[in-house]
This record gives sequence, C-alpha cells and structure tokens, in this order.
Amino acid sequence: MPFLGESIEETVQKILAGDRRTSGRLITRLEDGDDWGKEIMKRLFPRTGRSMTLGLTGAGGSGKSSLLNHLIERFRKMGKTVGVIAVDPSSPFSGGAFLGDRIRIQHHTRDDKVYIRSMASRGYLGGLARATTEALRVMEAMGFDVVMVETLGAGQDEIDVIRLVQTCLLVITPGMGDEIQALKAGIMEIGDIFVLNKSDLDGSIQVLRSIEATLSLKPGQEGEWKPKVISTVATSGEGIDDLMEGIMAHQDYLHNNDAMERAAFQRVEQELGLIFRDELERVIFKGLKGTGKKRRYIRSIIDGKSDPYTVIEEILETFLKER
Amino acid sequence: MVEKRKIKVVISKVGLDGHDRGAKVVSSLLKEAGMEVVYLGMYQMPEDIIRSAIDEDADVIGVSYLSGEHLVFTPKIVNEMKKHGLDDVLFIAGGVIPPEDIPSMKEMGVNKIFVAGSLTDPLVEYIRSNVRGK
Amino acid sequence: MCSVDELEELEKGTEVDWDSYLKAYYEKPRSAKTWSGFDVREIYTPKERVGKDYDETIGDAGKYPFTRGIHGNMFRGRYWTRREVIGIGSPADTHERVKVLADHGGSGLNTIADITYEMGLDADHPWAMNEVGLTGVNISHIRDMATLTEGIPLDKVSWSLITASTVASVTMAQYIAVAQNRGYDIRGLRGSVQNDPIHFRYCGFRPACPLDLSIRLGCDVMEYCTRNMPKWYYTTVNLYDLREQGITAPQEVAFGFGIAMIYVDELIRRGLSIDEFGPRFTFYVSCHTDLFEEVAKIRAARRLWARLMKEKYGAKDPRSMQFRFAVHTAGCSLVPQQPLNNIVRISYEALAAVLSGVQSLHCCSYDEPMCLPTEKGHLQALRTQQILAYETGVCNVADPLGGSYFVEELTDRIEEEVLKIMKQVEEVGGMKEAIRTEWLDREFEKEALKRQKEIDQGERLVVGVNIFSTEPETETPLGVQRIPSESARTQIEETKELKRTRDKCRLKDRMKQLREDAEEGRNVLPAMIEATKTFATTGELMGTVRMAMGYSYDPMEIIECSF
Repeated sequence: MPFLGESIEETVQKILAGDRRTSGRLITRLEDGDDWGKEIMKRLFPRTGRSMTLGLTGAGGSGKSSLLNHLIERFRKMGKTVGVIAVDPSSPFSGGAFLGDRIRIQHHTRDDKVYIRSMASRGYLGGLARATTEALRVMEAMGFDVVMVETLGAGQDEIDVIRLVQTCLLVITPGMGDEIQALKAGIMEIGDIFVLNKSDLDGSIQVLRSIEATLSLKPGQEGEWKPKVISTVATSGEGIDDLMEGIMAHQDYLHNNDAMERAAFQRVEQELGLIFRDELERVIFKGLKGTGKKRRYIRSIIDGKSDPYTVIEEILETFLKER
Repeated sequence: MVEKRKIKVVISKVGLDGHDRGAKVVSSLLKEAGMEVVYLGMYQMPEDIIRSAIDEDADVIGVSYLSGEHLVFTPKIVNEMKKHGLDDVLFIAGGVIPPEDIPSMKEMGVNKIFVAGSLTDPLVEYIRSNVRGK
Repeated sequence: MCSVDELEELEKGTEVDWDSYLKAYYEKPRSAKTWSGFDVREIYTPKERVGKDYDETIGDAGKYPFTRGIHGNMFRGRYWTRREVIGIGSPADTHERVKVLADHGGSGLNTIADITYEMGLDADHPWAMNEVGLTGVNISHIRDMATLTEGIPLDKVSWSLITASTVASVTMAQYIAVAQNRGYDIRGLRGSVQNDPIHFRYCGFRPACPLDLSIRLGCDVMEYCTRNMPKWYYTTVNLYDLREQGITAPQEVAFGFGIAMIYVDELIRRGLSIDEFGPRFTFYVSCHTDLFEEVAKIRAARRLWARLMKEKYGAKDPRSMQFRFAVHTAGCSLVPQQPLNNIVRISYEALAAVLSGVQSLHCCSYDEPMCLPTEKGHLQALRTQQILAYETGVCNVADPLGGSYFVEELTDRIEEEVLKIMKQVEEVGGMKEAIRTEWLDREFEKEALKRQKEIDQGERLVVGVNIFSTEPETETPLGVQRIPSESARTQIEETKELKRTRDKCRLKDRMKQLREDAEEGRNVLPAMIEATKTFATTGELMGTVRMAMGYSYDPMEIIECSF
C-alpha cells in the first residue's frame, strides 16, 4: 500500500524533517498495525532515542493534564520543542473513544513547536495504547527535544510507561491514602517522582507522610536515585518550579551514571516484548482470517468438544508446519 | 488481530460563541457509534482546528455553529484545509444555519450540514459511507 | 375545482396508507411521563390532598408561602411586562429595533449584549473583530451606551440589561454614567441587569469569569444597587441557561437556587441584611413545552424560595420571600424542521408562564433555530404575548390552576425532588465546590446526552424531527436576519478613534483609582463609573480589575495593559 503516493525514502525524509501531516498519518498506520508503517519504522529507528522522555501516570481526576499543561509551558520557555502523547480509554462496548485530554492543553496548538497526539487505548492494557511506544519513537525521529506521555488514568496497573520513559511522574491526590497503602510493596518501582497534586486540599499532609514513610522503608543503594515527593497545585501553578527542578535532577542523575544506559535497555527490552507479542498474534491469526476457522474453534470450545489449550496447540502446530 | 480501521473525528467550536452543548453531545454519540473523537472545545480559530486535525490525522472535521458565525468562519476553515491539502478529510457543519445558506456553504466546500434537530443515525451513516480509505 | 384528469392524477399521486390511518385512529400516548420524567397517574383526586393544610402548603396568592403568586390580584393589578430581547449589530442598529417594538406595544425594553462584550473585549480586540454585534449589541465605551439609550426617558421606562457575565459591572457603570451625564438621579432609575456571572461559566469562556472574580464583581453590583438604586433589580439569577443545557425542571430550580445562595451568602458577609437586599432579588426561568410541569415547577420554586428566605436566612419582610421571575420560553425546544410549528410551541410555553404568574415575559422568535431573530419574527413573538393578554382571558384570575389535584400533586413532587438535588449538591461540598470540581458540568453533560438519545430512540417525540418529518426546508418563511458587516466595521473604527483622541491623563488617574479599589477590596462600581465618564473602554475596565485580582489583563492573553 503506498503511503501518500510516496516512496518509503521520501516519507522517511519528511518525518525526519518534522512534517506533521506525514507523521500524523504514520502514527495512524502504526495504530492500525499496518505493514508499510513498520517498513518506515525500520528506517526511523536509528534516528530515535535522543529525546528527553517523561511519563505522567496516575488515576483519572488527579490533574495529570493540568500538570502536563504547566510542563509544556516550562519546557517551551526553556526553548525546548515538545511532543505529547495523551492516551484515553476506548469504550469496551462500542470501541469508540472520547479523547478529552487534548482540551486542557489545546491552546499550545497555536505553538508550532508543540505536537500533540491523542491515542485511544483500543483495549490495550497497562495504561498505554497499542502504538504508544511507536508513536514515541516517531516523535523522537521528528526531532522533539522533550516527549511526554500521559497514560490513560484508569488505575494502578499502568506500569508499562515506567520502562518506556526516562523519568516517570506518578500523580496522586489527597484522599488517595487507601490506594497508597495498597501500593506499599511496589511503590518504589512506580515513580521516579511522586507528585502530590491538589496539595491545598484537606488530608494532603497525611498522604504526604504516608508516601514518605513508605519510601523510607527501602533504604536504597549508595548513589541510587531516591524518589522525590513534590507537592503541587496544578490549578494555580504552585509547586511547578519544584517539579521542574525534580525532573531536571532526575535527568542529571540518569546522565551522570550508567542509569541512562539501563533506562534505554529497559525500554528496548519492553518494546521487543510488545512488538514480538503483537507480531506473533498478527501473523498467526492472519492465516485464520476469512476462513471461518476461528468461529469453528470457538464453537467447538463452547460445545465442549475442545478447549482453548488444545485449540491453541493446534493452531500453532498448523502454523509451524505450513512454514 | 486485524480489526476494522477506526474513524477519527475532530469536533470543535469556532470563534467566541459559547453554545457547546450540541458539540459535546455529538462527540459522545459518535464515540458510542465506535469512532475516536477528539473534542477541541470552544474558542478555536480555523488555524487551530486544522493544525489539530493534521496532528491527529483526522478523517472528519466537525464544526458546530450557533450564532450566525458560519458565514464568517466557513471560508476560513475551507481555505486552511486547502492550504494544507486536506482534500480527503470530510468537513461537516452543524447547528443553527438557515436553509438559505446551505447551498452556498456546500459551494464553499462543506461536505454535509446537519442542522439543529437532526437525528444521530443519519450523521453516523453519512460519515461511515463517505469517509476516506487510508 | 379540479378537472377529472387532475383528480385522477391526484389519486394516483397520493397513495393513502390505510393501515397507518387505522393505526392512527387507535393510537394512544406512548409515554405517561412528564418532560422531566415524572410518572403520572390516569387521574388525581382529593385523596392526594388529605392531611395537607391549604394555608400552610398553598395559601392565597400574595400570602406566604406565595405558592399561588406574589400578588393577591396578580394581573388584575398590572399585566406582566412584555419584553422582547433585542440586540443586533451596533448600538444604533439596536436602538432602531427597540423603537420598532416600543411602537408596537412592547412594554419593557430588553437589550442583550454580544459575545465580545460579555467576555469583556473591546470591538477592536483581535478576537472580537469577527463577531462584533453578531449575537447582540456591542458596547465598547460610554458613547455606545449613549447611542443605545438616545432620547429614551431613563427615569420612566424600565430597562432590562442582559449582561450575564462579570462585565455586568461595566454595564451598570456605563448605564449609570450616561444617566448621570444626562442629569438623572440614579435613585429613580428602574430596570434590571442580569448580573449572574457564575452561570456564565456554562455558556461562556471560563478564563473570562473565574469563580472568585464572578462572585466579587457580581456582588459589587448587587451591593452598590442596594445602597444607591432602590428601584433597580440588581440580579436576575439565570436558571434559564442552566435548563438549556438539557437538564430537568427540578434540576433547573435546585442548581439555580444553589447559585443564588452563593450571592446571598456573600451579600450577608458584606454586612447587608437579608431584608435590605432581598426585595430586589429576581430570577430568570425557562418555560418548556410540558405545560403542567412548568406551572408546577414555578409554583414549587415560589414556595421553596419563600421558605428558604424565611427559615434559613431569617427574612422578616414578605417582599424578601417573594420569588420574582422573568420567563424566557425554551429556545432549545425549537427546531428548524417545519419552523412555523415553533409558533405553537412558543405559545404553549408562554401560556405556562402566564398561568404561573410571571412578572416579565420574553417569547422566542419562531426563527431562532435557523438564524438570529428577524424583525418580523420579533413582532410575531410580541403578538403571541398580546394575544395571550388580550384575547384568551387567562390573566383574569390569580393562579387559575391552583387547586387542581394534579397540579398541586406535581408541585409537591417537584418540590421534593428539588430538595433532594439540593441535598446532593450539599453532599459534594456545596455549590461552589460542585462548580469547582466540575461536578455540575458532568451533570449537564449526562442529561443533555440522555435527552438526545431519547429523541434518537423515539422515546421523546418532536413533531417534524422524529415523527411526521418531511423534506428539509429550503427557506426561512419570513426571511433571514443578517448583521450588516458595515456596522461591525464602524464599531471597530469608532473604538479605535476614541482610544486615539481621549484625554489620557485624566483617564490614567481614574484607572489608578479603580485598580487601587479593586486591589484593596473596595466596591469597584464608583471608580468604574468615574473611569467610564473619562472614556475608559469595556476591555480596559475589566482588564484593570482582572489584574488587580491576579489574573491576566486580557482573558484571551493576546493584548497587554496599556496603562
């Protein structure tokens, strides 16, 4: 399938030059799992991995978009170009999505050094959309200095973003004390920076103490990053200076250690896993498409003539034989 | 798994008019019809709408007019679309638009107009059967 | 008469579907619910009234709790004020339309501002230029207000100024400045200003009306008028626009009262007593197509407000307990499909308003879902009111539906529902909190979506839309209103010219005073009036107060303060 009637090379050059329309189209192709998109990604990949990458995760209503808005503004004031990926959930019933994050950062659209892309999760778990990892690479290839990813904000299991980005902000609000209790064991792994947003509300001190107490449970190795807790009020802009300082401190830490190397390793490891899983599923199921076999398999399981394990074994065997 | 390609719609108000009930309701209804809808909100200028549509790679641009501003902004939006070569993107207008203006708006380049009181099914049907292949 | 050929042709052309004809004969209503979704029984009887004391729960018109009306003799004392909202293009254009309606028997002047003014932008603001005068009259400075009110005896007419947003403070300053320049004593001015900046959040640009600024400026106007303009109605809390979001009748009252109480609380905090300001507190209410429900809603609102004022706020003066209201027939009930049907819808809605004992009525024009109201449309709307007043006899008796088993029962149920919703609001932390956390936004969105789905699925019938629909119209029956682009250009030029030629030294002094008053928490009205007289513009007055309150000078963040 040709891409805007151009050769792969032309498309690649356009994206490297930061062409928004071509890049926008490419991301759509990647969302749809299109082969041509992959061909382009192969060429782009060597030109990625040089941006500062940030993730914002946390429950819906915690103020991620408002914080994102401040961060875009600060990075722009520093003269940095900014790419943003905002993930929203797809409806499990209709498959549609209301991508509402953009509305809070929409005024940055007037700035041509800011590129915002909304993505629907399309049933993908882990807080990201299926092609978020790839969209991040595309924005890096376009040459953005900073790329930020806002996760969809459904709950606590949005952990994919942690390995995807260099610096991960976990946004929490007062009144989420219970969630923090529940996270206790794994909380160290979730955020490089904990942002206590809406810290002007009642109960913020308790939550602050609770996070700090939890963090102090793990002493940490000498020279290892010690997660920071920063209080903000996104609506008034309070604490944003501290947050920026925290982000830059974490970036310094990454650069001054072999930590950046580790972050890059983790990211690729995760991407490999994701792309592998996706590819495998796609390739194997491609053989079934349009044959009616899938329907028959399902029927046989419902009728008790088979079971999912046997069916999968059979599909894999057939696939491997045909190869 | 290969699934049906999603239709992406950018919905917006334009200029200063603050009547956004219709735009929000349409956004929700299109979501329920299985589309991915980016709602830009109020106070958008034609350039903002087109920039957003490009970044989001929208298949459809929907603009809601309620205060007689349709004749002011429609040509500007169409111009922006032409300037950026969005000739395969559908431009749908909705809201308070006198029937007298519908032919001239179509001539300007609006693909379809759904005035106040329109039902949802015909809108969904129109988008599904006229949206571009990618 | 048709020829035989023509008759045969006609018979061939119109195939009657006899099955559906028979179905229509036996057809019965699909739903036994009110517009807001209350289930209703086949018949209501005296049983519903058992144990309910007449004087306590209903009472005569003119007596607490005012369920039946605020005046004992209602329209026998005076008709409602027949107002039609006017606002097109420049102040001169609007002035012309005002005179036309006054010539045809309108009894109250009612002007609406354009969106640029509502947002506090001058005509020459880069964002305003596209839309000056498009949805109302543009007033950028004192000369515009002078043109608008030219030759009109301000001490005799009652003028209703529809400015909903924080700019209502500027509107009052401009109106007062013009009146004083003409030698009027402002204590004698009669009329009203909408001045409900909180509600403007729901139909306007939020950065132009932050909550604290809304409360501050809204209450500055209320306080100033209470102290200096005893005949002026200083707020018209706008329930109408809330209802237009798609919510139900009880929600309209509950949310509107929630907002009203924010103002009441603030005025009391400022040291005014409830009986000082209570008698001039007014409301702006919607009337939808469900006649009985709308009448019951207003009766319930009257009773609730009276009790609220007396029991919660300790009002002693009965006038403080009276729910005074204007009605705007429901714009969102009108559709562009078969537009002449709108005249019928508007008539029923206006009838509901009159049967409820309305103080002031605006009827929509039938052409509103297609374009801005035309002069013919405006006149037709005024005629609708006049037919009600002079031909139908519905205004001879106070609360003619009072005592109807059904209407009394529905009144009680709406009252209960309103109280339930008010409690919900309390549970989310009160109305300010409901606004701040966008709880109220979510309620609006939920309800609007529900209404549209009901229509899509045929559960709610709208003639011409989902039943008895026909080919789309190709023209608007009485023509389309156009705003001359010349008016906008002149308006912009005049504003620029004024800014070039005025005496800047005097202006600067006055603006400094305004800024200080705003910063130090004094009422800004006196300084605004003086600054207006030295040709401070709308955008400059608002910008200065905004900056004093810690906001950007320009809500669109494009232009900077020039002082």
